[in-house]
Amino acid sequence: KVEFGGGLELLFDNQRSHKLTLPARVPLDNSTSSPPSSPPSPQNNEYEGETKPVDVAYLVHWLRHHLLKERAELFMEGDTVRPGILVLINDTDWELEGEGEYVIKNGDEVVFISTLHGG
Amino acid sequence: MSTSCGNPNAESDALMPRRRKFDRSKLCIKCKINQGNIVIRHAVYCKDCFLPMMYNKIKRTIEPTINPTPEGPRKKNLNPSGNLVIAFSGGLGSTVLLDVIYRGYFSSRRPRGETNTLSEGKDPKKERVWKEGKVCYVEVCGAFHGMRDRTDDVRRIVERYDDLEFVPLRIEDAFDESWWESVDLILSPCSRNGTPLSALCNYLSSLPAPTAIPSTLQTLTRLLLLHTALSTHSSHLALGTCLTSLSISLVSLVAQGGGFNLKEEVQEEWSPDSLSRSKGRSVRVVRPLKDIVMKECAMYAWWKGLEIVGQETWPGARQGISRITKDFIIGLEKDYPSTVSTIARTCAKLSPKDHAVGTCILCNRPAQPGVQEWKNRISIRSLSTDPPVSSEKASLAPYLCYACHTTLTSKSSK
Repeated sequence: KVEFGGGLELLFDNQRSHKLTLPARVPLDNSTSSPPSSPPSPQNNEYEGETKPVDVAYLVHWLRHHLLKERAELFMEGDTVRPGILVLINDTDWELEGEGEYVIKNGDEVVFISTLHGG
Repeated sequence: MSTSCGNPNAESDALMPRRRKFDRSKLCIKCKINQGNIVIRHAVYCKDCFLPMMYNKIKRTIEPTINPTPEGPRKKNLNPSGNLVIAFSGGLGSTVLLDVIYRGYFSSRRPRGETNTLSEGKDPKKERVWKEGKVCYVEVCGAFHGMRDRTDDVRRIVERYDDLEFVPLRIEDAFDESWWESVDLILSPCSRNGTPLSALCNYLSSLPAPTAIPSTLQTLTRLLLLHTALSTHSSHLALGTCLTSLSISLVSLVAQGGGFNLKEEVQEEWSPDSLSRSKGRSVRVVRPLKDIVMKECAMYAWWKGLEIVGQETWPGARQGISRITKDFIIGLEKDYPSTVSTIARTCAKLSPKDHAVGTCILCNRPAQPGVQEWKNRISIRSLSTDPPVSSEKASLAPYLCYACHTTLTSKSSK
């Protein structure tokens, strides 16, 4: 489950909460250009080449390519989320969970909160 | 280009280990029992310890500013000389500030003067600190064509807080004589055609650079809030500036020539004139969140389920000094979170060399001497070698501080 807060939902069709299903293994280079068939089977490794267990870094790229409706530069900068966006994994700061390298498990909840609305 | 670090003992393919984002373990440093939920400047806190920690930090910042004179060695009861105005911008900081102040100083306490017959006595800690609280919002959409009016969204949020009065203002009120009369300020009559809104738009369009627009709107907003506070017999005006925003505004202020007023940017005691000051009519501008970083505000808002109205990005703001500074410091905070507090601490150590020679007639802050002489020395005013002939026309320039003088005269390079 992915949630957006702090105004970030405006970039994702104004929808705060999304339920996603991702494959268990994904390309090492976070390529999301050829998404697996829906619903993807966790057993199949549908990607050729080097793969890794699905992690938050891949989720960010996936959201950017498949769910983001506008202004990608407000969500991502380079290979990761833009500075000023907090990421919580199961209500815990992603800095405590290894940031982008955290391997996503079934049922995990990831929240992206923008802090860029100032004081 | 060589990417080697030059150390002959290092392997050529060696990767520098990533710096840890937190010290020691993932356990909360306060209770040492729960797993941490959040990292703030390398310290790990669980959710149960984070919220009380935040309340206590804000309390330690705001309470010393409540009594008119600073406390001596003996701690006194909290007894402000007037009411409280909370400035609300719709942003993250002011949303958090409103919630914290309401919970800590209004909803959890009985109104002043009421006594509970069942209680043992009149416990001052159970009584409200300020008799009345108002929440003031300044709508700026009039300054920009097509910007959405957020007053109703803000009203909906503020009305959730009982006993706090919502006071909506508009940025064009600064050009409305009837508004100034309503806050007991008598202006000299001037002939002007058109509405306050058209006067505001003319003023903004005549500014010389894009950076001048957000600075001007900030000055006008600040003046509207200060006069509203004074006219509502409020002794305190609370702003929701968090530590991150404060560091941004301090650096941005210095970049725009406002270094003389660094202290006022953190906390100031404002009076409209010396007569009011002598009568004790002043407003203390405080920033209770000035030791709270933006990340803490965001986590508080998320865990408390607070709705953030947000602030519209001003068109053209990307080019302004404030926006560039914000992008830089937000980026710095991500990799070096302690830097942000260092900026605020260093600025707190600075004080101007000269004493103020009066008050700027535009921003109402202390003005330094010799602004025009300095400007003449550092810029080429004329290609002629003859000394400049002084103009007979009345001019605002001698009455402005350096920052306002720069805002009104400094042209963009484009």
